[in-house]
Amino acid sequence: METFSLKIVTPDGCIYDGQAERLFCRTIDGDVGILPRHSDYCTALGMGDAHVIMDGKAHHAACIGGMLSVMAGKVTLVATTWEWAEEIDRARAEASLARATTALKQTDADKRELDLAEARLKRALVRTSVAPKP
Amino acid sequence: MAGSMKDIKLRIKSVQSTMQITKAMELVASSKLRRAKERVEHSRPYFETLYQTLCEIAASNTEFQSRYLKKRPVQRSCYVVIAGDRGLAGGYNTNLFKMMAAETQGKDYCVLPIGKKAVEYFERAGVPIVSKAFAVAADCSVSSCFALSCLLTEQYLAGEFDEIKVGFTQFVSMLTQTAMVLPVLPFKAPAQKPAGFRDLILYEPNSEEVFDAIVPEYLAGMVYGAMCESVASELGARRTAMDSATKNAGDMIDSLNLYYNRARQAAITQEITEIVAGAGAGS
Repeated sequence: METFSLKIVTPDGCIYDGQAERLFCRTIDGDVGILPRHSDYCTALGMGDAHVIMDGKAHHAACIGGMLSVMAGKVTLVATTWEWAEEIDRARAEASLARATTALKQTDADKRELDLAEARLKRALVRTSVAPKP
Repeated sequence: MAGSMKDIKLRIKSVQSTMQITKAMELVASSKLRRAKERVEHSRPYFETLYQTLCEIAASNTEFQSRYLKKRPVQRSCYVVIAGDRGLAGGYNTNLFKMMAAETQGKDYCVLPIGKKAVEYFERAGVPIVSKAFAVAADCSVSSCFALSCLLTEQYLAGEFDEIKVGFTQFVSMLTQTAMVLPVLPFKAPAQKPAGFRDLILYEPNSEEVFDAIVPEYLAGMVYGAMCESVASELGARRTAMDSATKNAGDMIDSLNLYYNRARQAAITQEITEIVAGAGAGS
């Protein structure tokens, strides 16, 4: 199977640098899939499930924010956070989900708090959807 | 004489215990510094890729005018100032504040301080503070940098201020750290156009939206990078300051020991003189 070089970087360092067969992730405009020999391309990432297919196996991850660029066949994914599914602490994500839901139910909270809670809820939803089922 | 001997002995003891503290602080700072330097190196590729992409978009598209690219007449500036949480780091905090004072002279500005020392300083100076949510530099993680960036871009677009700059301390080497100010917004792309023809890049949904989505990330990345540098600088400055404090304490102990021995000798000499004089008087 043909592969392309993929590099995933976050502020905490380089997560992955190597070959991949396919890459799927969610952008601000919807889901995209990148195959080898893609034309030069650039977009900003939304939050959602991302998966990389390496050696015929799909590796899932929770990917939040950042950008994706394809330059001369080289794919660079710059994410704000990138967590492989197996690294996600399911219990923690669920606790955060519950906390965000209760925070959103409070009607007396100001807009700033609601925005923060909403962002937290979105992140938690992405994490819980990606984390392996117990 | 015996009294002064005791005084000197006490002095030596107290200097010794201070020396132990400074020595320990130096060791702690050196080991933390190693980790901080690693963090700087880890965060660099992320930031560089974002910056490159922004430059490419800004350079390749002359027709679009992003909200972040447009220059407005500067009436009010916002400074993100990154200082330390604690003192005892040589001139680390003072150098930064001195530089900030020179930079902001005669300007209408507000600050977003990071680090307890920065909060204290700007509160005392009576400068309007945007938010005190990020007061503790040690607690600032990637996610708090993103919260900070959202807050700033929101207010920037609302017109609360017309430029954003970051004041931090650059880690040049173990011995040199320079306080500096970097402009962040409005985004300024390098002026020179790449020679020859460029490859066409497909932007989705379009270059402007991609640009606008990346800018907050860039700001957060920039603040995070500056913070990593500042933390490394603080530890470097503390290490140097503690190293010289330890050396000074050593010198002080040496000279105090000399005084102590002199005092001891003088006491013995005096005692012998007294005995001899006493014996002479008796015979």
